[in-house]
Amino acid sequence: MTKYFNFNLKALLTNPYLIFWAIIFMEYWVLMWAYVFGANVPPYEEAISDYTSMAYGSLTIISLSAVATGIAETLIHSSKSIKFVTKYTKLSPARFLAENAASSLMVLLIVSAIMFSSVIGVFWHKFGMLVLPKSPLGLAATTLLSAIFLYAFSAFLSLLIVVLKAPKSASFVTFIPLMLSFLSYSSLWIDFKIFAYISPFNCISALFYHYYSGKRPVTGGFFMSNGKELMDTALTTVSLTAWIITMLALVIILLRKMRGVSIEEIRLV
Amino acid sequence: MINVEGLEVSYGRFKEPVLRSVNAVFDDKSLVLGPNGSGKTTLFRALCGLTKTRKGRILVDGVNVEEIYAKTGVIMANFPEVLSLLSIKVSDLIRLYADLTGGDQAFAHQILVGLGISETPLKCKKLHELSAGQIKAVCTAMALSTHAKHVLLDEPFEQLDPARKNKLIEHLIGYDGIIILNTHETWLIRNLADWKAFFMFEGALYGPVLVEELFKAKFSLREEAKAIIKLMVSGKTVSLVKGGRGKPVLSLESLDKIYELALEAEKG
Repeated sequence: MTKYFNFNLKALLTNPYLIFWAIIFMEYWVLMWAYVFGANVPPYEEAISDYTSMAYGSLTIISLSAVATGIAETLIHSSKSIKFVTKYTKLSPARFLAENAASSLMVLLIVSAIMFSSVIGVFWHKFGMLVLPKSPLGLAATTLLSAIFLYAFSAFLSLLIVVLKAPKSASFVTFIPLMLSFLSYSSLWIDFKIFAYISPFNCISALFYHYYSGKRPVTGGFFMSNGKELMDTALTTVSLTAWIITMLALVIILLRKMRGVSIEEIRLV
Repeated sequence: MINVEGLEVSYGRFKEPVLRSVNAVFDDKSLVLGPNGSGKTTLFRALCGLTKTRKGRILVDGVNVEEIYAKTGVIMANFPEVLSLLSIKVSDLIRLYADLTGGDQAFAHQILVGLGISETPLKCKKLHELSAGQIKAVCTAMALSTHAKHVLLDEPFEQLDPARKNKLIEHLIGYDGIIILNTHETWLIRNLADWKAFFMFEGALYGPVLVEELFKAKFSLREEAKAIIKLMVSGKTVSLVKGGRGKPVLSLESLDKIYELALEAEKG
């Protein structure tokens, strides 16, 4: 590892936008879910466990997407430097990708851990019951897969902007992970049916719910009373894995193609 | 050694080329002299492989610049955008690039102290938080401290006061490698007699000539038979001549003034 790993980790963890949107803002929603939306949750174990799992799944995907937005923004702003250092320093494109991915994944996992402990702590305070995941190993594996997907997706979006020389779209495109995470959040009310398998964001929140509650997730409409379709978790995992492989392959191709967008170009836009 | 063969660069498929059929061999310390907007920075970006070329090729030690990856110590440049890999404090940035290039961070700080920038602001500020002059000085010091074989310096004297300019020149003279430096200022050529000089006007590169030859050279706003170099400026021929009539190169201070001269000649 070069010093890039440590410095990127430090830069991401001290990024004020990332701290605000991925942690502080999401903690506010954890409190809202516990004390405002959770006011009418029936006081028995299954209902509380179900509600906590839903909260964890829905909020963690938004929090991780906020981190992904921060990662994408950082990559776009340093695209010229990335091109240069992969040519003239010991950070080859593969090594850069490995170190950038490792440090970014570390940040995504740290934020997941913060969300996990805050949901457990706040919901325990509200409901007087410690709701722990039914399958900690499954939840850990889903967290890792989610982190890999969100990193690959943010890297793909930022490199696409650079390769297409479209810095005007940068501020919109970097927010795509966050927008899609809110779309998956809407599955609490809307039944996405087959699209629940196609959207990786829906897959992530469904898997979080599954391993936390021990129950099979539904394709959407958690809060709706009409008939719900249960999801196949194996198929959901396959879909998420296919997305990860596709994104990583595209990132490797784009990294070799890109020439960078200068900071001035982005600032001028 | 960097070979440039028939290089043409334009920003956008249907736009006018910024660089037109540039041919050059950079095998020694060289200056690229030209007014602002003449294409010097674009040329340097192309030399690093950061700009898409429309025609031609660039060979760095015989290898096409497009095919170079992870070659430490081949090229370094003082562009802020290539030295902003992370948004971190400047002292950390210097440490990071020293690690990635096998450079000498102590040497970077030594250059910066000479240029009047102590370590204190570098420990608490990020690169974009420094003044324009400080950014240029930090980037130049970082580039030189990597001890790369080819160092490209884009306008390194901009916004430096005369005392600091002289300090920087000492480092350039003492550098053990090929420096290619671009500037629109002509005062510095007095100190770099044994360097080569190229001229760049409106995307075309002319030369090289030995800097020493420029000490007594003049710009004549007509076509001279014994010209060292003939430049095309706004569609007119400007001849660089030894002695004779014309404006001494050293008296211009900035090559931007050549356009004023051309305008005066047209009027009168």
